Amino acid sequence: MADQLYLENIDEFVTDQNKIVTYKWLSYTLGVHVNQAKQMLYDYVERKRKENSGAQLHVTYLVSGSLIQNGLSCHKVAVVREDKLEAVKSKLAVTASIHVYSIQKAMLKDSGPLFNTDYDILKSNLQNCSKFSAIKCAAAVPRAPVESSSEKFEQANLQVSSDTNHELSTNGHGPPTSKQVSQQPKGIMGMFASKAASKTQDTNKETKTEAKELTNASSAGSKAPGKVNVMSNFFGKAAMSKLKVSLDSEQAVKEEKTVEQQPVSVIEPKLAAPTVLKKSSKKVEPVKMQQKEKKRGKQLELSDDEMKETENMKKKKRKRIKLPEPDSSEDEVILDSLGAYEAESPSPPPPAHASPPEPAPKMEPAPPSVKSPSGENKRRRKRVLKSKTFIDGDGSMVTEKVYESESCTDSEEELKMKTPAIHRPPAMTVKKEPKEERKGPKKGAAALGKASRQASITGFFQKK
Amino acid sequence: MFSEQAAQRAQTLLSPPSTNNATFARVPVVTYSNSSQPFRLGERSFNRQYAHIYATRLVQMRPFLESRAQQHWGTEVQIKKLCELQPAEKCCVVGTLFKAMLLQPSILREVSEEHNLVPQPPRSKYIHPDDELVLEDELQRIKLEGNIAVSRLVTGTVLAVLGSVRDDGKFLVEDHCFAELAPQKPAPTLDSDRFVLLVSGLGLGGGGGESLLGTQLLVDVVTGQLGDEGEQRSAAQVSRVILAGNLLSHSTQSRDSINKAKYLTKKTQAASVEAVKMLDEILLQLSASVPVDVMPGEFDPTNYTLPQQPLHPCMFPLATAYSTLQLVTNPYQATIDGVRFLGTSGQNVSDIFRYSSMEDHLEILEWTLRVRHISPTAPDTLGPEGQTVLLVAVPDFSTTQTACLVNLRGLACQPISFSGFGADEDLGDLGP
Repeated sequence: MADQLYLENIDEFVTDQNKIVTYKWLSYTLGVHVNQAKQMLYDYVERKRKENSGAQLHVTYLVSGSLIQNGLSCHKVAVVREDKLEAVKSKLAVTASIHVYSIQKAMLKDSGPLFNTDYDILKSNLQNCSKFSAIKCAAAVPRAPVESSSEKFEQANLQVSSDTNHELSTNGHGPPTSKQVSQQPKGIMGMFASKAASKTQDTNKETKTEAKELTNASSAGSKAPGKVNVMSNFFGKAAMSKLKVSLDSEQAVKEEKTVEQQPVSVIEPKLAAPTVLKKSSKKVEPVKMQQKEKKRGKQLELSDDEMKETENMKKKKRKRIKLPEPDSSEDEVILDSLGAYEAESPSPPPPAHASPPEPAPKMEPAPPSVKSPSGENKRRRKRVLKSKTFIDGDGSMVTEKVYESESCTDSEEELKMKTPAIHRPPAMTVKKEPKEERKGPKKGAAALGKASRQASITGFFQKK
Repeated sequence: MFSEQAAQRAQTLLSPPSTNNATFARVPVVTYSNSSQPFRLGERSFNRQYAHIYATRLVQMRPFLESRAQQHWGTEVQIKKLCELQPAEKCCVVGTLFKAMLLQPSILREVSEEHNLVPQPPRSKYIHPDDELVLEDELQRIKLEGNIAVSRLVTGTVLAVLGSVRDDGKFLVEDHCFAELAPQKPAPTLDSDRFVLLVSGLGLGGGGGESLLGTQLLVDVVTGQLGDEGEQRSAAQVSRVILAGNLLSHSTQSRDSINKAKYLTKKTQAASVEAVKMLDEILLQLSASVPVDVMPGEFDPTNYTLPQQPLHPCMFPLATAYSTLQLVTNPYQATIDGVRFLGTSGQNVSDIFRYSSMEDHLEILEWTLRVRHISPTAPDTLGPEGQTVLLVAVPDFSTTQTACLVNLRGLACQPISFSGFGADEDLGDLGP
């Protein structure tokens, strides 16, 4: 039964799909030794011709042997059409091998399509091109490519910080070759890394523990090796570094006793989907509140509560980050969309926010937009610009616009988002994610916010 | 020979499939040592005066030539320097040849004769009956006449001439000799056939579809995909593949970016980029199966002057993962399984071809060995003691689809050529 299967396969390929089936193509497709593939082709031809002598089959053969030319024995290897096979064979003094090269329905004018077929299948199997070959070379061992590629990415991420040079030496390979190899991805990564760099540079300004973050990022990265999909690795790593940055900034924040920031940053990289959205929006609130009204006790309380939660979450998050890529796909998605805006389309946050708020816009639009699709209406505390009328000391009535904390639902929050907050002094001791900080000033224009929000929603789905 | 050996095993492939398919292990490299260290350049400085190079050569070659001269003309022959020459006295002088060529393209001539002059068109040979030979040693030079083939010799050859000075100041040559081959260490005898495949002139990026199929067939034979078991077994005995230069085609050398306006060439990439990618894939397939040495050639992206430095590994991200890939200099020298290989990518031979009347490339190759000088015309432009040398001039693969298989046991060479079929169906395909 099993051997009948290949006959059917070949039949299908040749007759139904009208493909050119070369021995190499068959060998890779069916996963068999090249010689077996050649034999399969021969078998198929024989049987088909026995059954149905008028079968529409054109076969090409490979002939090799020695030819006497000018008194010299020259070894010839040639691909010939069936009709020329005998003629060619007779010319050879010694025939070394004959086998079927390919089968196809239509007559081939020249060997170009054969080459194309082989080339295509080879391209898709470059990494194991010797797998089905008849010769195995013991000396040909690839130099740990997976490790090297993950190391490359690591290095690209670490490039942003100055103390990355030591990483190169951790490569198992000779330094020059690894440099060559890693320099190339660094070139590609350089593009992303520079974006990451701008991001992290902001964090640098704010966070004193940047180095720590990055080394954490690298350790996180190194803990997730062996991922076949390198690109997702990359995104994962970039996300990781962001994660780590935020997490560490949280830590720093803690140290700085500006705890309010934590919820925001903690929430941001949260891996669980709904909660992320939820929390990120939550994060928005406390940030605003905290920035504007540090003095207000309410915020502190709230943030204290939140802090407790986020502490736990953070712990959880810490753990989760160390898990390999698949878990963080969600996170990647979100962060990527954030990242995408930050890195690739700094335009939605207008150029005005060019340098420092760059990381922030991503944060800012994301959380509010992210929270909207969540569909959850959480009671949130928000700062609302309200006009308060009161009678001041002189006895006159004074109306003032004041930010007050208020609990409200999504829609109201959006409204609030539109009103630009005063510039949060970047010098804020909060070591948290600059994104969080920038959230206030970030929300410059409503359109801006909307645009970026809008974009990030679609970004969310696109990444999926 | 390769074919005969391949034919020894029974043919199995025109039959129904069998489950046990033979796999052959590639012959391990018994001994390999790369001796091209002298060709690696450390720091590159262009301050070197050519005179220093010539002086060093002369100093090094002098002892060899003197002993050769004594072998040829007896031990009593007087070996003198040019400054010591007495008229009408028969003696032997060792020096460097310089051929004053009328047609030799000279940059100074081009520059000095200003704008209206058309530069000299490139010719295949620059020799002229009026060329003169001058012998130079450390201090002086003297014109040579007599029994010496002016057209055959090229500038830069170090030789010994026997003769005497005439009254008009010219040296009348009676005989001359070269250093000939150096003493050779006997190569260890090999118990089984081992082949080294020499390929040159792959010419990727040249747009020739025919040569691509040929290249693919070559790779398939070497990696053991093509052919019957006998052939695959023989292919497993190819212990090394040496790609000797001109991996990229001449057409990838276009310097559009210099001549064309920027707005036309902004988004275009150099033709060599695509070609190098193809080369990387080919090298990947090869290195996964056999040790490969890659030498740069005239059209390859490395420095132009000899010695050419190895191609940079960053150009081959896929293939450099394998340690079997070795990027080497041009010229390249190595000892493979006891046999010493010395190869160049051909620029020296073509240069000598241009400046001398020697027609056959093989003859030129032989002559370089006799003169003990791979490239006498740079920087300007086997043997008597039973040494066995095999000279191989490897044809350009992109035009001939032919490579060379050298059997290290017995130093025999067999060309191996590949072909597909084309629309014009004459059996001339299998012809030379």
